[in-house]
Parts: sequence; C-alpha cells; structure tokens
Amino acid sequence: MRRFFRRRATAVLGGAAVVLAAACADFTTEAPLEGDVFDGPLPGLTPEELAAFVRGDEDFGRAFSPAEGLGPIFNNVSCASCHSGDGRGRVENALTRFSQAGSLVQHLGGPQLQDKAIPGAEAEVLPAGVDVSVRLPPPVFGVGLIEAISEAAILALADETDADGDGISGRPNWVTPPAFVPAMEPGGGSGPQLGRFSRKAQVSSLLQQTVEAYHQDIGITSDFLPIENQNPLAGSPTDAADRVADPEISQSTVRAVVHYIRTLAPPAPGADTPERMRGRALFVQLNCSGCHVPQLMTGPNPIAALARQPVTLYSDLLLHDMGDDLADNRPDGSANGREWRTAPLWGLRLMRQFLNGDAFLLHDGRARTIEEAILLHGGEAQAARDGFAALGPGERTAVLDFVGSR
Amino acid sequence: MRSIALLAGAALLLVPALKGQDTTQAAPERPFVTGGVYDKPYLTRLLGRTALGGYAEAHARLERADGATEEFGFEAKRWNIFASTQVSDFVRIAAEVEFEDGAEEIKLEFAAIDVSISRQLTLRAGMLLSPLGRFNLAHDSPQNEFTDRPLVSTELLGVALSEPGLGVLGLFPLGATGRITYELYAVNGFDDGLITDSPDGTRIPRGRGNFEDNNNSPAVVGRMAWSPRLGLEFGVSAHHGAYNVFESEGTPVDQKRMLTIWVFDAEVEAAGFRVMGEASTTSIDVPSGLRGIFASGQRGFYLEAVRDFGRGWVRTMPRSFFSAGGRIDVVDFDRDLDGDTIHRYTAGFNFRPTRDTVLKLNYFRGTVRDRFNNPTEEAGFLFSVATYF
Ligand code: HEC
Ligand code: HEC
Repeated sequence: MRRFFRRRATAVLGGAAVVLAAACADFTTEAPLEGDVFDGPLPGLTPEELAAFVRGDEDFGRAFSPAEGLGPIFNNVSCASCHSGDGRGRVENALTRFSQAGSLVQHLGGPQLQDKAIPGAEAEVLPAGVDVSVRLPPPVFGVGLIEAISEAAILALADETDADGDGISGRPNWVTPPAFVPAMEPGGGSGPQLGRFSRKAQVSSLLQQTVEAYHQDIGITSDFLPIENQNPLAGSPTDAADRVADPEISQSTVRAVVHYIRTLAPPAPGADTPERMRGRALFVQLNCSGCHVPQLMTGPNPIAALARQPVTLYSDLLLHDMGDDLADNRPDGSANGREWRTAPLWGLRLMRQFLNGDAFLLHDGRARTIEEAILLHGGEAQAARDGFAALGPGERTAVLDFVGSR
Repeated sequence: MRSIALLAGAALLLVPALKGQDTTQAAPERPFVTGGVYDKPYLTRLLGRTALGGYAEAHARLERADGATEEFGFEAKRWNIFASTQVSDFVRIAAEVEFEDGAEEIKLEFAAIDVSISRQLTLRAGMLLSPLGRFNLAHDSPQNEFTDRPLVSTELLGVALSEPGLGVLGLFPLGATGRITYELYAVNGFDDGLITDSPDGTRIPRGRGNFEDNNNSPAVVGRMAWSPRLGLEFGVSAHHGAYNVFESEGTPVDQKRMLTIWVFDAEVEAAGFRVMGEASTTSIDVPSGLRGIFASGQRGFYLEAVRDFGRGWVRTMPRSFFSAGGRIDVVDFDRDLDGDTIHRYTAGFNFRPTRDTVLKLNYFRGTVRDRFNNPTEEAGFLFSVATYF
C-alpha cells in the first residue's frame, strides 16, 4: 500500500471504507412484516402456485396506456390503481353504478359510469333521473378464502324470515353468472349461484369480477369479453378512438390475475390485549357478530393452502337491510336498494396505512372513522348500533380498539 | 451509422499514436457551455479539420427495494462518439452518436451545423440538444459526478433530450470575466406519447422522439444564463408548445394542448465545493377525459455538492485525484397528489486517474411513493467507470 498511497491518503480512504461498511449494514432495505401487508401470498403455496402468484401480481399492478388499449371509456388504469396496496380504495377511486327501476339502462351507458376517456372518445356523464350507487373499492386480499368457504356454511347463517327473532335476517344473493364463466369455475354454472363478492354480493365468481373489472373499469377487452364498452350517448363512435385490436389481453392474463387474488393472504390481526378481549366480548354481546361472523371454514379445494382453513373475516357474506341512511335505493341482482353484504372487518388495523393516513368505510366510503361507520348502521343492525351508542366511553373504546385491530 | 463506428474504431487505434492533445495548453477560450458540445476533452484532430472523440460508460449495479433485489448485474451503459469539423472560420458542424445498453438503442444525439455571424449571433440547425436545463447540455458521463443522472433530468424532462430544430445562440461579455449566453430554437417539440404511450400517468420523456413534427406546430425552447465568472452561473430555460395533433388535413380534431416546462439551474464553486442544482416545474394541458389520472403539473429538483481532494495521493498517478459528494433528488410526478413521488439521497466517492476518466462508487437510498402515497424503500450500490476517449 505504502508504495502506492501517501499516508494521508491511506487514512482518508480507510475512513471512507469504514463509512461505506456502515452504509452496507443499513443497505438491505427491509421487507415489511408478512402479516402487515395486503399483498402477501397465502402460506403453504407450492412453488408452481407461487410462480403463478408472481405473474398475476405483475398483471394486477400493470397500468395500461391509451396506446396499449386503455379505454376507450374507463375509470382507472390498473387494478392496483383502485385497490390500494390490494386493500380498499379512496373515495376518489370509487365507482358509480346506475340503473332505473331495475333496468340496467344500457342505452344510457348503464350500469356503470365511465367518467374517463382516452383522447378521441367521449367520457360518460351521469344521465338525469337514474338510481345511483357509489361503491368504494373493497379490499381484494382473502377473496380466495371467501370463494372457498363452503356454500352450506354460508347458507346455514341465513335467516330470511328472522325465525330466531333477533331482528337479523341475513339472506343470500342468488345471481346468474354471465355465460363466459365456465361451469367448472367456482361460482360458475347454469342457474342461480351464491353471490359472494362486491358490496351487494352481486358477483358469484372471481373470474367474472376480474373480467368485468378489466372490461368496465379499465376498458380492456379479453377473450371472455372481446367487445369494447361503448358510450351510447356519445356523438362519435366510442371504439374508433381505441386502435388496439380486441381482445386486448389473453385468457392467460386474466387467469393469472384471478389466481393472484385467489391466493392473496389476509393480513394478520393485532395482538389480543386485555382491552381488546373486553371489546371482543362486547362485540358478541351487542350481537355485532350476528352479521360480522368472526370465523367461517373453507371446504375442500384444489389449492391445498385454501382447503379446510379457518377464515377470520367477520362477515356472514349475506345481505342485510341496513336502514334508510345507508340505502342506495338501487337494486342489484336480487339485492334490494336497502341491502348490503356484511362488510368483512379483517384488515381494518392497516387501513389507514394504505390510504395515506385516511379512513374510508362503508359501501361508499362516507364514514371517516370506525365509530362513525357503526353509528350509521340501521335497519337490521339498529339494535346493535343503539347498544353500541349506549355503552360507556370505556366500553366503546374497547369495541373500537377490538374492531380496529382486526 | 456503421461507418461512423468503424471510423471510431480506427480513431481509437490512432489515439495512442497521435497522442491526443490534453487540455494543458495556453488558457483556451472559455467554452460556450462548459462540458457542452464544443467542449469535449481529448477531441483528437484526425484528418485536417475534423476532430473525433467520444466517451464510454459501464455500470455494475445492485439495487434493492423493500428487502428484495431488483437488479444485480452489469450494464454496458453507453458508448458515444462525437466528431466536429471546423469547416471554415464561420461554419462548424458537430455530431454525436450514442449506443445505449449494449446497442439496444442507437441514436443520433446531436448533429448540427453552426453558422457564426458574430459572437453574439450564431445560427444553428439540425439535431439539437434542447437547452432545457444545464444538465441536458452537458450530460456526458465522465463529467457527471454520480453514476446515475439526476432524476429530475431523466424522469421529468427526458435527458438526453435532442430534437430537430433551428435557431440562434450567442454570447454577450459582461466585464472582464462575466457574460450572458442564450440559446433559442424552434423545435418539433414533444408529441402526445407523453400521455398516450404512458401507462403510469403523464411522463414527458414518453413524448420524445418527435422527429417529424406530429402536429405541424413547432415548439420553442430556450435558455439564458448569466455567469459573473467561471464557476458561477445561473440559468433559466423554458419549453413551450402544443404536443397533440389538433388538426388533421386542415380539419380541427382537438383543441391545441400546450406543454410548458421551466427549468432553473445554478452552479456555484465556492470554498472548494462545486454545488450544482436544477429545479423544474411543468404544466400539461391534459385532455378532459384523462384529468385526475394524468398529471397536469409536475415538479422536481436535484442539488449536489462535490469536493475534490487528494491530488497526487496515488504516487503512480500524479494527476489523479479523488472527489466526494452528495446529491438530493426529488421528483413529484403529480402536483395534485400527495404520492407519485421519488425521493433519493446519493453519496458518491470518485477517483479520477486523470480528469477525463472517472471511477464512481455510489450508495443511494430513497423512497418511491405510488399514487396512494404507499412507500417503497429503495437502496442501491452503483459502481461505474466512464472515460472520454
Ligand atoms: C375503478 C376502480 C377499480 C378498478 C380499476 C378495479 N376495481 Fe375491483 N372493485 C372496485 C369496486 C368499486 C368494487 C366493488 C364493486 C361493487 O360493489 O359493485 C370492486 C370489487 C372487486 C372485488 C371484490 C372484492 C370483494 O370483497 O368482494 C375484486 C376481487 C376486485 N374488485 C378485483 C379487481 C381486479 C382483479 C381488478 C383489475 C382487473 C380490479 N378489481 C380493478 C373498483 C375497482
Ligand atoms: C345486521 C347486520 C349487522 C350488524 C348487527 C352489524 N353490522 Fe356492521 N356492517 C354490516 C353491513 C351490511 C355493513 C356494510 C354496510 C355498507 O357497506 O354500507 C357493515 C359495516 C361495518 C363496518 C365498516 C366496515 C368497512 O370496511 O367499511 C364496521 C366497522 C362495522 N360494520 C362494525 C360493526 C359493529 C362494531 C357492530 C356492532 C355494534 C356491527 N357492525 C353490527 C352489517 C351489520
């Protein structure tokens, strides 16, 4: 060394090396904890299932440019642009559904408002005199578990006539899947299927949810729905603006995304502190758990990681009349304008972390705190809501702490 | 293109024989842009009035994001060759061809003819380097103190940014050492690729490469710089023009959508430090159907400080020296959102065997935020070698 470097140089270079080594120690940016994310894979996936997960993850995050087929009319550019970190979205990303007295008013651009358009196409404007329902994007983690819960387990919770007299009368939403959903696909088949997905459980199959999200939300045609969505009220031909040949994505891309969301793990709940235990007891005592059923089991499943698993989602996946305040007065499938699917409560612990510190709750994101969301419950949940409102401040805090730690 | 490469190869072989002139002669005239087109070291006079030179750059990169390795490998980043010819006392021409990422991309970065009427007025035409910030005008890797170019330059503005154009440049001396320089060109401007080819929201670099004006509506780009002395300079640049096709065969098909870019740059040499920085703000008239998703305003800046030391510390290389420094990079892709940003902090340590060759070691750390403001932590070790030849 001495032959090459002057003494001062050796000292300074040595110092620099030490600094560098220190930087090295801090170099490996840390992965967030497994249970603290919405976009981790289920534990126990096989290497093949994980490889497909990674492929689907890419497509879920892939944004489309107009030159790549975005639109002609659309709402956003990728799945991930609405479902933040695979969790829920913000009110700015909410969808507007509209219809008129049960008709989907396709001649007016229904049943979904596409208020964005690529250059050369005309975005839709909400027509006057229609029934409108604003829908906040729900989380997409855990949907594979929701899909895998046996139908019998969900139907066992239904109590359409309120035979047990608890004021809660959950009922399933029987829906007819579109023809493009193959019969062997979960939620597919001829005849009515049990709806599980979206705010009114109006969707029975993840494949349908994905294909329609591409088609309606992003304006991306696929092998399943190969014809672009139109704005029937536009003066110019909507699809003349989109120069990309249809279908814009292949069946395999759709399948990869379906596999991805199917194998997304829910985040882990927070630790059970004594206060939370108290909150949990009150949650049951107030019969919040009459709708927010803490746990359901999956049935057999070709994906071993989904088979016979407990699903701690805090929902019965059934429809409930939630009263006037929450009613959108717009029927969806067999769900009426006052009914909503019990929102799963898992992941609330991390909600703000993925919404820039904000909270958006209920079907349209109107509630900005968990407490506000509870106080807006009505209809079948009136008794539970009133029970919550009547709690002392300490007890309320315990319930909120418990719910907010799921 | 191929013949240029061959010529360059030949030049390379000739260099040792001809002993390219180092810049150690009597104080040369101060260049128009330090490190700019006509200020390349080692330009070797090859055939009478033509000079040839170039630079090459190679990287080794290790980049990680949120605990996962994003990139670990090597890049033959670029190999550029330039030639310039003094055709007569009044006319000169310079050209630069770039082979990027193992010749994945080959482009004519610069090829312009200068007709000098006076010091105050030179006409320039051809493929120009847009005077949009100081960095775009002098971005050669051996001069850049860090491996990666500033993010505001690459991500927001699209450096290296060159386009066909025509215009004027000139210089007005101020006192003994000061001066004001200007460049002003009409150029093709950007095209609507900045929106239609851009999946992630407005990205101006996606509108580059508008070699045949898409909308028959030239844009204006210019820079004015005030320099009281060598090592002290303040510049203002602007670009303004329509980027979309608003008329087709005389029929209006859209409204004229304007893109405006401002860049402010500064260079200050003081107390042994070289401090450089650039800040930019842009405004884009986005079609109504895309508003809320494609940004109509962006901004960003970089600021770096570097200090040379250790001249001659390496006994075998008397002209060698070291430098150390840091850079801050901030890019905000959408002013209307909290997210859609990049923040990056880079520390650098360089060794220059001579001024024209540099070995750079960088460590960076930063945060990329998506449109929801969800962060991804990034870090990287970059090692690179760059040299003029
Ligand atoms: C424009 C925003 C938007 C985009 C883009 C979008 N979604 Fe959604 N997503 C929603 C909304 C809103 C709902 C609820 C719809 C309803 O209740 O009618 C939803 C519901 C879902 C659900 C049901 C979740 C549940 O708990 O029932 C899944 C799964 C889903 N989306 C997946 C996707 C996939 C996959 C993509 C990309 C192909 C995608 N979404 C793109 C807004 C979006
Ligand atoms: C009758 C059934 C029912 C009962 C009882 C009930 N809920 Fe709900 N809850 C729902 C439904 C349905 C929604 C979704 C409403 C909507 O989307 O507008 C919901 C939504 C919520 C939400 C918002 C979740 C989100 O992600 O937006 C919270 C929090 C919540 N309930 C907590 C409670 C608590 C605490 C209790 C007991 C005090 C309770 N609920 C009782 C049916 C019920």
